[in-house]
Amino acid sequence: MSDSENSASVIAASDIEVDHASLDASIAEFASQNGDYYAKQFHRIHSSTGLLPNTFNWMAAILGPVWAAARGVWGMFWGFLILEMIAWVQIGRGWWGDPGANFFERAAGQRERAEGFLERAEAARAAGEDPARFEKLAENIGNAAEKSEALGQAASSEALGILLAGLGLLVLFKALQGFYANSIYEKQFSRWRIDQKMAESGVKPKNILLGIVLVILIGPLTIYKFTVDSPLEVLNEFPEKQVSSVFIDSDKATLYTELASWLEQKIDNAAIAGAGAFDGITASVRWVLDALGLALIGTPWPVVMLVICVVAWRAAGPRVAIFTAASLAYIALLGYWAIAMETVALVGAAVFICVIIGIPLGIWFGKSRRAYNAAEPVLDLMQTLPAFVYLIPIIAFFGTGNPPGILATIIFGMPPVIRLTSLGVRGVPDTIKEAAVAFGASRFQLLKDVEVPLALPSIMTGVNQTILMCLSMVVIISLIGGGGLGKVILEALQYAAKGPGLLGGFAILFVAMVIDRIVQGAFRRKDQEL
Amino acid sequence: MTESTESVVNISNVWKVFGEKADDAIKAIKDEGIGKAEVLERYGCVIGVQDATFDVPRGEIFCIMGLSGSGKSTLVRHINRLIEPSSGNIEVLGRNVSNLNESQLRELRANHIGMVFQHMALLPHRSVRDNVAYPLEIRGVAKSKRWAVSDHALQLVDLVGYEDRLPKELSGGMQQRVVIARALASDPEVLLMDEPFSALDPLIRMQLQDQFKALVAQLQKTTLFITHDLDEAIRIGHRIAIMKDGIIVQIGTPEDIVMNPADDYVREFVQGISKLKLVKAHSILEPLESYQGDLEGAPRADEEADLDQLIDHAVGTDLPVVITSNGQDVGVVTKPRLLRGIQGGKEQ
Repeated sequence: MSDSENSASVIAASDIEVDHASLDASIAEFASQNGDYYAKQFHRIHSSTGLLPNTFNWMAAILGPVWAAARGVWGMFWGFLILEMIAWVQIGRGWWGDPGANFFERAAGQRERAEGFLERAEAARAAGEDPARFEKLAENIGNAAEKSEALGQAASSEALGILLAGLGLLVLFKALQGFYANSIYEKQFSRWRIDQKMAESGVKPKNILLGIVLVILIGPLTIYKFTVDSPLEVLNEFPEKQVSSVFIDSDKATLYTELASWLEQKIDNAAIAGAGAFDGITASVRWVLDALGLALIGTPWPVVMLVICVVAWRAAGPRVAIFTAASLAYIALLGYWAIAMETVALVGAAVFICVIIGIPLGIWFGKSRRAYNAAEPVLDLMQTLPAFVYLIPIIAFFGTGNPPGILATIIFGMPPVIRLTSLGVRGVPDTIKEAAVAFGASRFQLLKDVEVPLALPSIMTGVNQTILMCLSMVVIISLIGGGGLGKVILEALQYAAKGPGLLGGFAILFVAMVIDRIVQGAFRRKDQEL
Repeated sequence: MTESTESVVNISNVWKVFGEKADDAIKAIKDEGIGKAEVLERYGCVIGVQDATFDVPRGEIFCIMGLSGSGKSTLVRHINRLIEPSSGNIEVLGRNVSNLNESQLRELRANHIGMVFQHMALLPHRSVRDNVAYPLEIRGVAKSKRWAVSDHALQLVDLVGYEDRLPKELSGGMQQRVVIARALASDPEVLLMDEPFSALDPLIRMQLQDQFKALVAQLQKTTLFITHDLDEAIRIGHRIAIMKDGIIVQIGTPEDIVMNPADDYVREFVQGISKLKLVKAHSILEPLESYQGDLEGAPRADEEADLDQLIDHAVGTDLPVVITSNGQDVGVVTKPRLLRGIQGGKEQ
């Protein structure tokens, strides 16, 4: 290769001179106003090696958040706006607020109640009953009132202290802003050098205006609310009734009641219209559940126990098998056998349906980006919506009992298997797919021989997560009449029965741990094969 | 190298432009001769292949050489229609690939075209044997048969004893041989090799190149071999096509390319190539009539002798080497000509 013309001559690092001129131009462009000042300050920052800031920006200290807004340093703006607000509220409280007001108010209330009791004592005496009880109460409350008053006095005398503390805080925050403004601004300059769109530069009138408006909107109102004894009522609580009356011309109805009853009507109508379909779904879920229940509860218990232990041993090894046997003994000895098997049947039915529906959906979402984009918000909703919320429509559409409980469990448990299946399918290398296609594979062969086997580890992780989600949900479905160990817990909760509650809780824990250990053990073996 | 001139792969005027306004872009390239930067700017299109035309006869190894992004992989993927052309005609074994329906296309891919990829693309969950047998499995061949064929293909690439291993247990070079065995297993007429040896270290690469060349010669496969390495192309190819920005700049035998580069681009490539084994006596000889001098006792060599052999002849004597064709003296190679030939055919 030919020698390059513009080769830089080699200089030892210690001999390299700092070239200020080129950086100065850039800083001036960035700062636009007071470019010289910032160039100088940035150089001081650049040449310092200590941790503490070595510059002080008077403008930032005096103007505070407004300076930050003007320079587009929004993180600093919000941070110090809040901090300064805290200081200003203290100053306000100390200056014109009455810190003892709460206590005095309470004392007045207590006096009033004491007098009330005295009156009742008077009335009792007049009626020939024993007034001692009321007199005693009145005395106690009177003492409390005195204490409150003393506290109030103490608080009031603290006003000066609060004022001074507020002033101190304000000075501290101003000083912090002054010291750190240039450092923070220099960081923004570095970001701006990387990508001019990423960081704001210069002084923009729009930013100054926005900063001033925000300070004016937030500052005075907050300080007013916190320092005045009895602020305007409208600031204490959102005027929901008044706003409602703007939209709805009625004294009683509010936006809330109208919307709630409208929704209720819609749900009722839908439940009636779709009764056939909903019943069909319930019936098929019940069918799966009954089949599993029959296998687990109908089969003689020694057989079931043996099979479970052997499966644990084969799938996950002797240690898990011993743990499984101990757990089963605990469950059986405490009389939870049938009810625990019902829980296992519930989880099994839910997981079965999740997998049957979830894996094909996951494969579809994995292959079609558009379908996945459409489904993702729904999956997010299924996972984030609190379970209690969708129990309500499930009752409306499917009634109560085990099958609706399983449906609720499915809603909660299905997203992981869908997500991880589609993730696995999307993660299959294009090169391997291309090779299969190049050898003449049809779409089905591609799916069967390449995509599903390569996505299998991810799919198995999804199934495992779905099992765990379903396990955590079967307790909650006892709220809508689901059976199993969840019912035991719910009953214990209702009567605050500590003993039964704990025993039942451990039974659930053991069921969950046994299932999790066996499944994980089985999947780990499968994983190692790959 | 070609006993018959039957064309196995025939590509004529194939264009591939990626983007929505491909047709407009092609028209603009044809009419106005705009370059790739302008195509991207005006039409938002990327040129893949620009007006490719060539013909590969049976049994030939046809190398396509170019740097990354030159469109060589794109061009080859047209042959089994992994990529649809924007325009142009592709014939494989006399069949127009573009006119095949889906099942015909699958039949062509499964039975007649084998492909080897740079990223091995082996199925990680299948044994080596099942990987090699996979093309046959797609075709619906019974297990006993496809295992037998697969074992035979593994024998060809010298991998006996590894049939039941998983791909990840094999080294990179062995995996690449599995991939070649897989392409051979279905006994296709056409082999498409997409930079098969690029990811391997130089020693193993050379070894595999020789093994591959011998194998293809023995099996009489028509091969399209993509590479970004001119040394590899020269080692393996009967003919070489050099691509740049989607255009085929030059097609010729290794000797053609090295001795007569079509433009500066090719010349730059060729610069570092050793000519010893490439340049034959007939391309540097001085006709007998124009040589005046004594040839008494001069060594003789066939016109197909390469420079390496000519040097062997020339070192023992001060006389030039006499070149013969079918026993007749046709010319001489003098020392200056020999030295210039080693340099790559500079002007005398």
